[in-house]
Amino acid sequence: MANSTLTKKINLYGWLFVIPAALFIFVLNFYPMISAFMLSLQSGRGNNLKFAGLKNYARLFQDEMFLTSVGNVLTYLAIQVPIMLLLALVLASMLNDPKLRFKGLFRTFIFLPCATSLVSAALIFKTFFSIDGIANISLMALHIISEPKSWLTDPFWAKAIIILTITWRWTGYNTVFYLAGLQTIDRSIYEAARIDGASASRQFFHITIPLLKPVILLTTIMSTNGTLQLFDEVKNITNGGPGIATLSISQYIYNLSFMYNPQFGYAAAVSYAILVMVAILSLIQMKVGNRK
Amino acid sequence: MKKTICVAMVLLLLTSSLVFAAGKAETAPAVTDPNAPVTLTVWCWDPMFNIYAMNEAGKIYKADHPNVTVEVVETPWADLQQKLITSLSANATSNLPDIILMQDNAIQKNVVNYPEAYVALNGKIDLSQFAQFKVDVGTVDGKNYGVPFDNGATGTFLRSDIIEKAGLKVSDFTDITWERFIELGKIVKQKTGVAMISTVANEPDFPMLMLQSAGTWMFDENGKAYIKDNTVLKEALKITKEMVESGVCVLVQDWNAYIATLNNGTVASTINGCWIVGSISAEPSQSGKWAVTNTPRFANIASSVNYSSQGGSGWMVMANSKHPDVAIDFLAKTFGGSVELYETILPTSGAIATWLPAAKSPVYSKPIEYFGGQKIYEDLVGYAGKVPNVKYGIYNYEARDAIARALSEVMQGANIDSALATAQKNVEFLMSE
Repeated sequence: MANSTLTKKINLYGWLFVIPAALFIFVLNFYPMISAFMLSLQSGRGNNLKFAGLKNYARLFQDEMFLTSVGNVLTYLAIQVPIMLLLALVLASMLNDPKLRFKGLFRTFIFLPCATSLVSAALIFKTFFSIDGIANISLMALHIISEPKSWLTDPFWAKAIIILTITWRWTGYNTVFYLAGLQTIDRSIYEAARIDGASASRQFFHITIPLLKPVILLTTIMSTNGTLQLFDEVKNITNGGPGIATLSISQYIYNLSFMYNPQFGYAAAVSYAILVMVAILSLIQMKVGNRK
Repeated sequence: MKKTICVAMVLLLLTSSLVFAAGKAETAPAVTDPNAPVTLTVWCWDPMFNIYAMNEAGKIYKADHPNVTVEVVETPWADLQQKLITSLSANATSNLPDIILMQDNAIQKNVVNYPEAYVALNGKIDLSQFAQFKVDVGTVDGKNYGVPFDNGATGTFLRSDIIEKAGLKVSDFTDITWERFIELGKIVKQKTGVAMISTVANEPDFPMLMLQSAGTWMFDENGKAYIKDNTVLKEALKITKEMVESGVCVLVQDWNAYIATLNNGTVASTINGCWIVGSISAEPSQSGKWAVTNTPRFANIASSVNYSSQGGSGWMVMANSKHPDVAIDFLAKTFGGSVELYETILPTSGAIATWLPAAKSPVYSKPIEYFGGQKIYEDLVGYAGKVPNVKYGIYNYEARDAIARALSEVMQGANIDSALATAQKNVEFLMSE
């Protein structure tokens, strides 16, 4: 009897302690999500909204600008995420080398970009690639180009520079995850492999990668999610230009809400489109990642 | 004992979260004492220009109304627009200021979407004393919402020293066509190595001012998108492309880089709204080396004239203001009633009034040393009177953005007609619901 009341008591306290946090999560996360969904079912300008059912979702497929922004973001995703994660893996295995000296220093250097604000990183890269920026000056000094190139007004190079910026900013972040994962792998496995005569690259592909699989899955999902919601870099480096060649979905939402006549209902539908895409891509990655 | 503390802590957390969720209640006592201190908050964006002008206006008003203080909060235009829409959509207007400055081309959009947010000024400020086209910009359904501020009349601002080196005179640029401007630009580039002009790559500033010079806009009189088959627009994109491809015009990445090309002598001229005077004059080493003449026109379009407008803005009183009457009286007695104010702000900021009585002030006919002794303000006021009137409409930003995209595609080699057809389709999509 006494035992059961104690359990009840503990349970009660448990709930009491959880309630405030749960309440905050509900109010600050779930409530906005639900009202955004309700908003996405309405159409109109400014505050003159009226119920429109799924019309906004049907509109998405006729919206050439939305489809272009999805294409842009998927291009970033397909090119940037694999490069970044591979780079992070290589850096992490190098940093994990027990014979490496000044390990702390290198780790700091690699993580440092992550401590930079997204906006300052974007502005610095924009300066690098401006007409009189360091990129043009160095390339001209090396006689690779004969006159300054306008990088950010070229649709191809503008995309490339955005990919470069994201990679610079986020590689260190992912390296930390891999480094943490690598520390959990027993050194004796590598020792055994070395004794059996496995080369460094064989060890990397046959020991490191398989054992890091859960961490790789985590970072892939996080990067996919982050890239689909890309905003700061594009807004600050190219502002979506030239034309809409670099426009991201989030920036399109911003334009729909704050630059054009505010169409909050439609903007909310676009944001739900991102949610659906993240969900689908994550599902695929989990299915692929968990296959034995 | 422990139990009580636990329960108390949980309760404390719960109540505090409820308090946060409820937000703080706003109750402002009504001001009855006319001499009670009043602070008017103002949002505007340019320290060299409109912030300076607003602070001077505050000083002038304070002389007669010592209880009124004007507090300017520097808010870049993009931020101002975003804060405004966010607060108005959420019906949380307590954070908004008493007075805002709004871009002329955004007034219609903002008033139509949130008509309750602004105070109509009919009968409270004498708007008949302002240039009519500026009053029209801020008028929606017969109600006037804006107190016109600066003039956006355009001019060709030339580095007289550079063009003289190329064997040309300032008068060679007066009353010319864009075609001639390109020819002259090639001569300048060839003889001095300096590019004629610069513009921000992702902005359709040239096509916009070209459109207005022909009295045309991106919408017809019924408010329908008029982009596809718009011959003026087609010509404008063609000429802009030609300017860039011939090397006459340098493309830069953003506004700061554009201003830098003026201040460090990368270009021999710029064509923009007259408010650019403030930024040009910020470089003391170029004093005496600048001159102003009118804007080029189209050779092939009969309605096109040598005058246009770019930018310009107006003050608006917010309905959420606790002291709307003070705010209106302040604007009426300064921007709408003080020659002294305009005389103070003109020489340093180049803020050319749209309040007509100010243009009669002798300050406007003073020779300006920075521009080699030219009476530039007299000239610019003269241009302002000849600017064709266009209706910017509600969907101006949507259309402007679509033209920016069309321009960039045309620069990459796309066909002008198909680029404009796409632009028309995109604007129509955004206009539908």
